[in-house]
Amino acid sequence: MQSPVLVEARRLGKTYPKVFHRRDRLRALYRLLTGGPGIDSTSVLRDVDLEVRAGQSLGLIGENGAGKSTLLKLIVGVLTPSSGEVHVHGRVGALLELGAGFHPEYTGRDNIALSAALYGLNADEARAKLPEIIDFADIGAYIDEPVKHYSSGMVVRLGFAIVAALRPDLLITDEVLAVGDESFQKKCVRWMEDYLDGGGTLILVSHSMYHVQKLCRQACWIKQGAVAASGDVFEVTQAYLAYQERKSAAQPVRQDSPSHAQEFYLIDLALNGDTADVPLVIDQGCRVGARVHVHSRDGREPVISFGVARADGTSVYGVSTEMEKQRPLRVSENVYTVEIEFPELALLPGSYLLRAHALDTEGVRLFNTLVRSITIRGESREFGLIRLKHSWPAANSETNVAP
Amino acid sequence: MPALRLALHFIHRELRNRYLGSFSGGLWALFQPLIQLAVYSFVFVYVFKAKVPGANAPGYIPFLVMGLWPWNAFAEGLARATTAIQDNAALIGKVALPREVLVFSAVAANFLLQGIGFCAIVIAMRVFGVPVDLFALPLALLGFVQLFVLALGFAFLFAAVQVFVRDLSSALPQLLMLWMFSSPVFFARDALPERYRGWLDWNPFTYYTEFFRAALLGAGSFSLSSTLMALGVAVIVFTLGYAIFRRLNPYFEDFL
Repeated sequence: MQSPVLVEARRLGKTYPKVFHRRDRLRALYRLLTGGPGIDSTSVLRDVDLEVRAGQSLGLIGENGAGKSTLLKLIVGVLTPSSGEVHVHGRVGALLELGAGFHPEYTGRDNIALSAALYGLNADEARAKLPEIIDFADIGAYIDEPVKHYSSGMVVRLGFAIVAALRPDLLITDEVLAVGDESFQKKCVRWMEDYLDGGGTLILVSHSMYHVQKLCRQACWIKQGAVAASGDVFEVTQAYLAYQERKSAAQPVRQDSPSHAQEFYLIDLALNGDTADVPLVIDQGCRVGARVHVHSRDGREPVISFGVARADGTSVYGVSTEMEKQRPLRVSENVYTVEIEFPELALLPGSYLLRAHALDTEGVRLFNTLVRSITIRGESREFGLIRLKHSWPAANSETNVAP
Repeated sequence: MPALRLALHFIHRELRNRYLGSFSGGLWALFQPLIQLAVYSFVFVYVFKAKVPGANAPGYIPFLVMGLWPWNAFAEGLARATTAIQDNAALIGKVALPREVLVFSAVAANFLLQGIGFCAIVIAMRVFGVPVDLFALPLALLGFVQLFVLALGFAFLFAAVQVFVRDLSSALPQLLMLWMFSSPVFFARDALPERYRGWLDWNPFTYYTEFFRAALLGAGSFSLSSTLMALGVAVIVFTLGYAIFRRLNPYFEDFL
């Protein structure tokens, strides 16, 4: 038996009116009242079909302005669809943007009361939940201060604490976790995992693929107002990351233009034999070879350094010919070449950059850098950047345990 | 039921908002119309030597009280409700709530305040020897309820239009001023030249001043037909205002 449908959207669309001139508002009012011809409008979301069943967890991903927040607002009921329809069943707890509906002049305690009333709790129920909320928010004496004195992290803490205490059938959050500090983020993620284990349903908008992959089983990629892909979280997030890579490859990565006056410069960088500047897409654990040609003005031997970084620039690993006492091969009078091979690249699925740097003979001065992106495919659910060698000396393997 | 609970919460909030951070707190709500009454009484009684026509006239101050408090309830409630949706844009954008509650609460909070003030001053007048019929007070409060329905109708209309055309809230004080002086708040219908008296019937507020004066002071009279007429007008205005509000409601977020 399938679990009941909590959210059902059919050909959902949303357009915003174009209001530029003062007169446009009056004209819009007149047309809305008389039911005249439609107003000029910009479409932000179109033909979105969505179904979320009880117990599912859906991650909404996409670029800024793709329409993710608009979709959430339509589901929550803050916005009215321009076309299509959306039905929501069950109690919805929503955390849209920062400070969901808090009044800045009121204390945290008063705002809890207001939120409780907005969620339809009566005074007794609200009083009963109060200690739990204050405890979860963990903002100390600030609970009796006006919310305008809160830091943005405290606002999120309070907002999340309220939603957590309400135990909604469906929890909808919009990139708010990013504001809390590390320990609170962990607390929230732990709470959400418990909530999901307990049969809760989640719709999460996040730019953190880590959070999406950790918390969600399904994902939906919204691109320019339409669903670009939806389904299993790993397939969708990887398709999205690959798209991101293609996009950043289209706008050439800042690379130092080789100046022939320089002592050394990298002529090209080939990944697995391919010098074209497109992302290399390989499966997890495959071989990667990176080969460069270096021009040496005076014929001296260069030092070449290779580095792997996450797409956001975080360094993963770096090594140079000089460190490991390797010397580039001389191809001609002014050209050297060197290749490094990673036989089983231990990177976890995701997007990475491979960089090559040309240094002088002493390995001190840095000349130019070439960058290529690598996308690792895979369905691994491990966290982090690389797979560390490991074994389980004291554990039962599930594959060996009789079901 | 949850909507009602929410409305109570917002009424409470509205009352607190008005006096939050003010030194006198809620007392100001009761004093402000009294000061207004003192100023108007001085101007009209001592400067203009206004008199209420008729043999058993109750004196100008009680006469003014019967017009001023209902007007304040009506006009201030309207002024506050007009911006109710716009002022709560942040809330509306983040939380799904029945927006009617915001307009309702703004009007209701003001009627509550003015209603209490009205009862207090009517009882105070009786204590000071003005021949007010205290037994008619419950009847007068029914009149307030009817006025509330009328105010709510206009409030829904204005709050919805304000979202689209922001000029309304700027124009409203002037509009209300004009409306006050074209209602028999400061004068009785009889003070007008004969041929203009009938025009007052086109003003939906006229009935209420005359109703309160007749019910509590015994000045003038009100008929069943005029009561039914006023009730009909209140219900029609409410229905129309609410219908327009409901029609525009889905588009508020787009224009806020």
